[in-house]
Amino acid sequence: MWLRMAWRNVWRNPRRTGIVVSAVAIGIGACLFSMSLSFGVAQQMVTTAIETQLGHLQIHAQGYEENRDLSTRLEDGGKRARAALSARSDIAAFASRVRGQGLLNSPRASAGVRIVGIDPVAEAQVTSLAKSLVQGVWLDGQSPRVLIGERLAKRLQVGIGKKLVLSVQDLAGELTGRAYRVGGIFHAPSSELNSSVVFVSLDQAQSLFGLGEAVTEIVVVAKEDDGLDRIQAELRAELAGVAEVRTWAELQPLLKYMAGAVHQNAYVMYATVFVAMAFGIANVLFMSVHERAREIGVMLAMGMKRWRIVALVVAESLLLTLVGLFIGIAAALLGTLAFRDGIDFSAFAEGLAAFGANSRVAPVLRAEDLMVPIGVGSFAALLASVWPAWRVASARPADSLRRL
Amino acid sequence: MNWRLCWLSWLAAVACSLALAGFPAAAELLPAPAGVDASAIAKGAEGSLRADRTFFRARMTVTSPRLARPRVIEFSSWEDLPRKRSFVRIHRPAKDAGTSFLKQHPNLWMYIPRVERTVRVPPSMMSQSWMGSDFSNDDLVRESSEIEDYSHRLLGVDPDEGQGSGAYVLEYLPHESVAVVWGRIVAWIDIESGFALRQEFYDEDGEKLRLLRFEDVREVEGRRVPHRWTLTPLDKEGHETRIEMLEIAFDPELADSIFTRRNLEKGR
Amino acid sequence: MPQRIEVRLAWRNVWRNWRRTALTVAATVFAVFLVEMSVAMSAGTHSKMIEDGVKMASGHLTLSGRGYLEQRTLEQFVPASAELERLLDRTEAIIGWAARVSSFALLSFGDRSNGVAVLGVDPARESSVSSLPTRVSSGRFLSSDGRREIVLGAALARDLAAEVGDELLLYGIAYSLETAYELFRVVGILRIPSPDLERALALISLRDAQEFFVYGDRVSEIAILARDAEAGLALRDPLEAALVALGTEGLELYGWAELMPELEQFVLLDRGGMYLQLIILVVVVGFGILNTILMSVLERTRELGVMRALGLSSGAVSRIVYLESMAVSAVGLVIGLALAAPCALYFEQNPIPLRGEFEAMTELLGMEPLIVFDFAPAQVGYVSLMVAIVALLAAAYPAFKAGRLRPVDALRSL
Repeated sequence: MWLRMAWRNVWRNPRRTGIVVSAVAIGIGACLFSMSLSFGVAQQMVTTAIETQLGHLQIHAQGYEENRDLSTRLEDGGKRARAALSARSDIAAFASRVRGQGLLNSPRASAGVRIVGIDPVAEAQVTSLAKSLVQGVWLDGQSPRVLIGERLAKRLQVGIGKKLVLSVQDLAGELTGRAYRVGGIFHAPSSELNSSVVFVSLDQAQSLFGLGEAVTEIVVVAKEDDGLDRIQAELRAELAGVAEVRTWAELQPLLKYMAGAVHQNAYVMYATVFVAMAFGIANVLFMSVHERAREIGVMLAMGMKRWRIVALVVAESLLLTLVGLFIGIAAALLGTLAFRDGIDFSAFAEGLAAFGANSRVAPVLRAEDLMVPIGVGSFAALLASVWPAWRVASARPADSLRRL
Repeated sequence: MNWRLCWLSWLAAVACSLALAGFPAAAELLPAPAGVDASAIAKGAEGSLRADRTFFRARMTVTSPRLARPRVIEFSSWEDLPRKRSFVRIHRPAKDAGTSFLKQHPNLWMYIPRVERTVRVPPSMMSQSWMGSDFSNDDLVRESSEIEDYSHRLLGVDPDEGQGSGAYVLEYLPHESVAVVWGRIVAWIDIESGFALRQEFYDEDGEKLRLLRFEDVREVEGRRVPHRWTLTPLDKEGHETRIEMLEIAFDPELADSIFTRRNLEKGR
Repeated sequence: MPQRIEVRLAWRNVWRNWRRTALTVAATVFAVFLVEMSVAMSAGTHSKMIEDGVKMASGHLTLSGRGYLEQRTLEQFVPASAELERLLDRTEAIIGWAARVSSFALLSFGDRSNGVAVLGVDPARESSVSSLPTRVSSGRFLSSDGRREIVLGAALARDLAAEVGDELLLYGIAYSLETAYELFRVVGILRIPSPDLERALALISLRDAQEFFVYGDRVSEIAILARDAEAGLALRDPLEAALVALGTEGLELYGWAELMPELEQFVLLDRGGMYLQLIILVVVVGFGILNTILMSVLERTRELGVMRALGLSSGAVSRIVYLESMAVSAVGLVIGLALAAPCALYFEQNPIPLRGEFEAMTELLGMEPLIVFDFAPAQVGYVSLMVAIVALLAAAYPAFKAGRLRPVDALRSL
């Protein structure tokens, strides 16, 4: 009953209320949509890094923290780690890799590169690099083919099928050179991958570097994004003394930081927009209360408890805000849906690629993202109602009645 | 045995390779006689340059638009192909005298007497210039053999090259797994005496990257041996590196002690 | 032009319902304050990012030989003449400049050796152009009169197992195609945010480099620092013209944005995002102004009717409404700026330090852990313009309604 009264009061002056509600809706809608784009970029950054390079977790030999050399390796190919991973039900896939560096030569140029030896089949289940291929085909573990990024191909002035010579210093410190042909060229969202990384098959890398069975790391993808800490703790316990287990956040703390920064920026944004709105809402409430001074005076004279009237004012404030919020959120969600294929920011491609994001940015809004504006908005509504409610609370019925 | 058919198909092949490879004056190539073993010819040419074991002393002259005067380096080289090792010692100029290089498959070591340091040349330095010349450290080390690591095909006969009877023109194609960046090498070999005349190095797109000429042929130990090698890189203007043999010996006795790190440090 | 009577009426109307006006003014003050602070903060942050980036490598402008950017060999050089130096010294817009020699060489210690990018820098000038001298993590930077000193990237030092005090062999091919080799003593270790660069960078003095590579007076590049990014941009064309006048052919002048497109785009993207958010804020406040003015107009229907009946034109009535809106906004603007300007100026002098996690993160990026503000008088102009536009837009509908009022209808609503 009170709610109905509050609702009716709110719409007593539809134009006035409509303007405020529009303000809230537009403010929140626009805010949310622009936030959703930032969230989209941040999520892409993280997802891209996880999907193309990091995986959820990585397992290395002991001592990886201090020494990321070729010599820090899982000598038997990480048999125990692999067994531990296979035994778990919450792991989607894992793949072994070899990491090293060397010089890649073409007839015209040479470039220092990072070399990653991958198991083509396993790797395809763990990373999405295969999708980034723009020319050629994925590795098949048989022929000595390499995958290089677009920028690297350009710098070396080679195309598909052309020959390259890879020179490295192997585990024993000896110079080795091998010829490979370009099997595929990829365009990954990361400019680092595109310009300085070359992928070969695991077997080739092991023999090139003289590693035998050893691998540098095992990349793990879990079935769920959450619960990584638990998986890490359990694996750590199982592989204590044998291997080190790290989450993607530990491998790239910068990534986690940047992703978090975007959300914090959002909170600040909501706060400022709602504070600005609060003034407008307060104004509207004042006008509404003022108009009903006589009515309120009558109610008070008839014995209505003061706090009920205060509650009414507060309720009106909340309703007003919530209606605006609802419309704004709906609009933002519609926008997210409309642009779910992403907006083209190719003018900023290089800038985004440096962060590992695509030039097509899709807006992202999750349920929890909506909680914050609703919470902040409600708080702002309460804040806005303080002054008008206080006025009501301290009004004297006699004064109001006198205005008759 | 049908000459006309042979001729026509050859013409077609030449026209194709002209379109693809910028073959110089290819229209002048005559068809090769049948029954000629390309690999044997290649081996013979290689024999005019080196044997399984070779010693030579040479003067290398480097010309570049940067230099007012060409740079001259004198050095000796001991090469032991079957055991994949070689040794080079620089004699002149004075600043470089005593600098030595030891190749012991697969590594390259360098010793500089003035600072008494031995250095292992890392992969990143292999494509850098050797002693300021147009040869790279990689060329010096020459892991691959033009005979064993390449397949050979006779393209035809060039009547304008060589002494009198013209030159065989061969194409060397590297085997798939060999660690060289060349797409192909085209070699001219004197028909009469079988020595190497010229080599052109192409990348896989068919662009010519460098030219190596062999001249000043003299008789040594019963072989016809070019005593002047001239390398011209085609991506740099006005550059040339010339090697003139002062002394050359085939299959001499080469003591094991030559190819040791201790020998590196022997200085002069 | 609004007449005096209109202005007085507008002003009196504004303060008739002081509480309503006060709330609207408060909203405007809040928005103006935030806008100004955000703009100052973002200007400062971007400026700093660009400065940090520019000081890592290239300066605002890089002068080098044609083709240097792609090939980076000794072939592409800048003949450093006395006239060129005088020109650079004389140009006021140039805060600092430093010449460098860059080439590839072999660095060896014990039985380890690496190919490195050798950079010959002028110890006296380098700190006026780059942050490299400040990144020393152990030992010290090169000294102006030191001979045969070398500073290594930390990862490179680790690769070679070399420490401060060790003697390393540097070996390469000089410009004269002679072999160049010398022993250099490690005097310092550098930390650089880019691990790839840290693994490959070795610094020696410019004089040593010119001697080592037999380069004479030549240099590979000259890094030029201006006061800030805009000044750098403005400097480019006049400097190019001056260089041509000097007769130096075959030289190229690169802007930092060409060398670091990612940085430029990030700044643009970030700035765009910020403006978007500020516009949203301002729109919200604009609605508040709209509401206030509209309510004010509707309440005074009778009064306006009387005025119209007494001969006030509809245009005048509209103008009065516009003036009211401007008045409210102006009050908010002035107070907001009065609060924001001193704050921004204060923070400009005293940047806010970042603590905890943020501190660690920014240091990882190689940046100082500070929030930097940059206050420029031009910002006041922009904010004022923005507020004025919003005030006019917000008043449009109410003014329209007021203007359309027919005296007869107005009086009838008595």
